[in-house]
Amino acid sequence: MAASMMSWRLSVSLRCGQSASFQQLDIFARVLAQPHLTQLHITRGARRTCKAAPWLSKRTVDHKLNEEVLTTESKEFLKNVAIERFKERMANSPLKDAPAERHQWTPKSLRTGVLAIKLGVIPQWTKDGHRFTCTLLQVLDNHVVRYIPPEEFSKYPSFKKKWRKNIFGSLVVGALSTDPFKFSKGYNNLCAKVGLPPKRKLTRFLVTPDAAVEPGTPLKATHFKVGDYVDCQAKTIGHGFQGVVKRWGFKGGPASHGTTKWHRRTGNIGGGRNKAAVWKGRKMPGHMGMEWRTLKALKIWRINTKYNVLYVMGQNVPGPVHCYVRVMDSRTLFRRKERIQRPPHMPTFYPEDVDEPLPEEIFDEEMFKFTEPSITFTDKKDK
Amino acid sequence: MAAYLMRRSILGSHQCLRTLSHQEIVSKFSTTKCLGEIQKMTRLHVVDNSGTGRIAEFTGRPPRCIHVYNKTGVGRLGDKILVAIRGKKKKAFIVGCKQKQNFMVPRFDSNNIVLIEDTGMPTGTRIKVPIPSSLRGNSGEFTKILSIATKFL
Amino acid sequence: MAALGNRVAALGRIRLLRSSVFIQCRYSNTLPEATVEKHRKSKLAQDPEESETESLVAPRDYKYVYPEFLPDPKPQYRDRIREKLEHEDMFRRRTVLKIPEFYVGSILAVLVSDPYAPGKKNRFVGICINRSGHGLRSQFTLRNVVDGQGMEITYELYNPTIQGIEVLKLEKRLDPHLFYLRDALPEYSTIPFDFEPVPHPPGATIPVNPVKVKLRPRPWHERWERQDLQGLQDLELPERFYERAREVAKPWEKYDLMKQYRESINDDDAAKIMGYVYKKIQELEKTKER
Repeated sequence: MAASMMSWRLSVSLRCGQSASFQQLDIFARVLAQPHLTQLHITRGARRTCKAAPWLSKRTVDHKLNEEVLTTESKEFLKNVAIERFKERMANSPLKDAPAERHQWTPKSLRTGVLAIKLGVIPQWTKDGHRFTCTLLQVLDNHVVRYIPPEEFSKYPSFKKKWRKNIFGSLVVGALSTDPFKFSKGYNNLCAKVGLPPKRKLTRFLVTPDAAVEPGTPLKATHFKVGDYVDCQAKTIGHGFQGVVKRWGFKGGPASHGTTKWHRRTGNIGGGRNKAAVWKGRKMPGHMGMEWRTLKALKIWRINTKYNVLYVMGQNVPGPVHCYVRVMDSRTLFRRKERIQRPPHMPTFYPEDVDEPLPEEIFDEEMFKFTEPSITFTDKKDK
Repeated sequence: MAAYLMRRSILGSHQCLRTLSHQEIVSKFSTTKCLGEIQKMTRLHVVDNSGTGRIAEFTGRPPRCIHVYNKTGVGRLGDKILVAIRGKKKKAFIVGCKQKQNFMVPRFDSNNIVLIEDTGMPTGTRIKVPIPSSLRGNSGEFTKILSIATKFL
Repeated sequence: MAALGNRVAALGRIRLLRSSVFIQCRYSNTLPEATVEKHRKSKLAQDPEESETESLVAPRDYKYVYPEFLPDPKPQYRDRIREKLEHEDMFRRRTVLKIPEFYVGSILAVLVSDPYAPGKKNRFVGICINRSGHGLRSQFTLRNVVDGQGMEITYELYNPTIQGIEVLKLEKRLDPHLFYLRDALPEYSTIPFDFEPVPHPPGATIPVNPVKVKLRPRPWHERWERQDLQGLQDLELPERFYERAREVAKPWEKYDLMKQYRESINDDDAAKIMGYVYKKIQELEKTKER
C-alpha cells in the first residue's frame, strides 16, 4: 500500500510538471529499485498469501553461519543462557503491579478470543442417548501480548475503514512460547516488554475498552463457560490448484463411449448474442482451499481444565488437524437473552475469582458423563 | 428368455430362487450395488400374508416401486411408496431396507414392504417377519401397520 | 513371516517422522505433530505437561483382545492428547459396563434400552460378522436369521444406551470378517434367541471354528473369489472367474513394507498404548474386587 502510494505520488508530481526535490526523487528511485516494494499491490492483493507484509520487521534469524562455527555444547549453553535471561524478564511482568480495573459485562462489550489448536473429532452422547460429534480444540500456552486502546488504534494503518472509529481496541494474543534464539531482536522485544518469551503465532482480536486484558495475562480454556456459543475461524484445508470437478463439483464428461479428451472439463463458459462475455464469478479451475472461513455459534459442551481442551459442537471446524483456530464469543444474536442472564467471565477468567480450584472436567447439563450408569428410558406417564 | 433370466437374477432374493434350479440362474452382469436403495424400478419383497404379494413372487414378477412419496426419491424406513404389482398400482409402506442403516437400526437382506389399500387399511392381516423397533415411534397412518406386526427388533 | 515382522519392527524403531513422510506441512496455518508435541513439553511454556510415568509391558495378546484402543493409523488424524482423552472416556465407561472379550465369529447377545419397546429394553442375538473403528467410534455388527429373514444390526461399543453385552459362545473364525454370510445358506447364520451360553474357562485358548461355509449360487454382494478367504467351500465357478481373479490380484503387496507400516500402528507405538491399557485394566479389576 505504502509503495503504491509513493509511486502514485511520484507519477502525479511528474505529470503535473512539479519539480520534485532531488531528495524525494532519490527515495522514490530507491523504492522503485526494490522489486518487492514496487510489486506490493500484486503480492499483498492476492487472495491467498503466506508472505508477511514487508514493512514488518523480520521475524526469524538465520543462524546457519553460526551453526557451522559453534559446537553442540556451546549451542546448548547459549540456549540455556537465553532461556534463563527470559525467565528473569518474566519476573518483571507488568502483572506484578496493582491489577487493572475490572468492568461488568454488558451486551455491547466484546471480549477477546483465544488461539487454539485443532486436535480432532470424537463422538459424544447426550443424556437422552442422542449421538453427536465434537471437535477438540486445545488452548496451548496463550498470553495477551499487547493492547492498543481505541483512540490510538483508529489511527493505525491497519485499521479498516468498515470498523467504527474509537470503539474497538486491538488486543494481540500469542500462542506457543518458543526458543528466543531463533527469532530476531525486534520480534523478541515484542513479548519481552511484557515479560514473555517470544510467541510462535500472534493474532489480533477486536475488543471494547471495558474488556481489555492486561498484557502478560495467560488465557486458558476456562476463558469460556460450558454452554457458551463460540465462533471458530481458521484456514481451510489447502488442496492446491484444482480442476473444476473437484473444486466446484461439476459433472465432467463420460469416461468412455468414444469420448476423447473430455472427461473432467468445464464446458461452455459464456453465452451468445448480447451476453457474449465471461461473466464475473464464473466457476473455473484454480486454487482450492486454504481460505479463512468462520463457523458460527458452536456450543461448548465440555471443558478439560487439565489439558485446556474445549469440546466444541460439530465436526466441520475448518482446517486440518493441528491447525490454528481463532475461537471467540459468538457475535450472532443467537440466544442473546440466555447470555444476559449468564454473563461470561470479564475480561477473562482469573483463578483467584473462585475459592476452590475448578474440577478437571466440566460438563454441560445435557451431556452424558461416562461415569454415569447406562441410559434407561421411562414412560412419560411415570414422571 | 434372456430378458426373463436377467429379471430373475436381478431379484437376487432366495425367496424367489426356490422356484428355479441352480443352472438356470447365471447373471451376465454385476448386481452388486444396484439394489442398495429403494427408488423407482426397485424390486421389492412383500412380507404381509396377502395373497397378491405371494402370487406375484411365485410367478416371478415381484412388485416394483414406481414412485416414492418423499422429496428425495429414495425410500427409507417408514416411507410410503407406490408399487406395480400383478398389473395394478398399489400403495405400500417400507418396513425393512437393504441399505446401510444408522447404528442400532437393523439392516435386512431384502427390501420389505407391506401393502395397503387406498383407504389406508393394510391388505394383509399379519406381518410374517420382524420389523425395526424404531418404526414404533411413527404415528398417523403407520399405526395400522404396527397393529398387524408380530415381532419388533 | 517372522523375519518380515522383525523388519517391520525395525522400521518402527527408526521412528520415521510421520508428519514429514506423509504430510508436507505446506499449510501456513498448520503445525506438524512433532512441533506441537515439543511445545506441550517446552520449558518455556506457562505450565508444561508432566512427563508420563513409565507404562507396563502388556501381554502379547492385548493387541487382539482390546483392538479398539489402537488409534486410526492415518497420520493426518493422530494426536496424542486426543487419543488420551478418548481412552479416559473409554475406561470410565468400562467401570460401569462390562465389555467382554469377543472376536469376529463369536455369538453375542446385546441388551439395549429402547424408548418404544414395552419393557424399554430390546435384546438381539447374533453372530459377530465384523469389528471396526477406533476409540469411541469402535463398532461391531451382529447377524441373525429370524423367521427366514436375514438381518444385521451395527452397535457402537461405547454407546451409553447399551445395557449389557453377553458372550454366548467365544470363538474365532478363519477370516477377519464374515460378510460372506450374507450370500451363504441361511443355516450358517441362524441362531435361536434362547441360545444357551457355552462356558469358557478363563485363561483357556480361544477355539477357532474351522467351518467352511457354502454359498448360494451367484449373484453375490461381492466377488468373493477375488478375496483371500479361508472359510469358504469351493465356489463352483467357471474357470474364467478364477483367471480374472489371478489377473487383478496383487501378490506383491505382502512384500510392501511401507504399505504395511502406513496401514498399521507400528510395534513401538502399539506397545506403549497397550502398556497404558494394561495398567488401567489392572486398576479396574482391583477396584471391582473391593
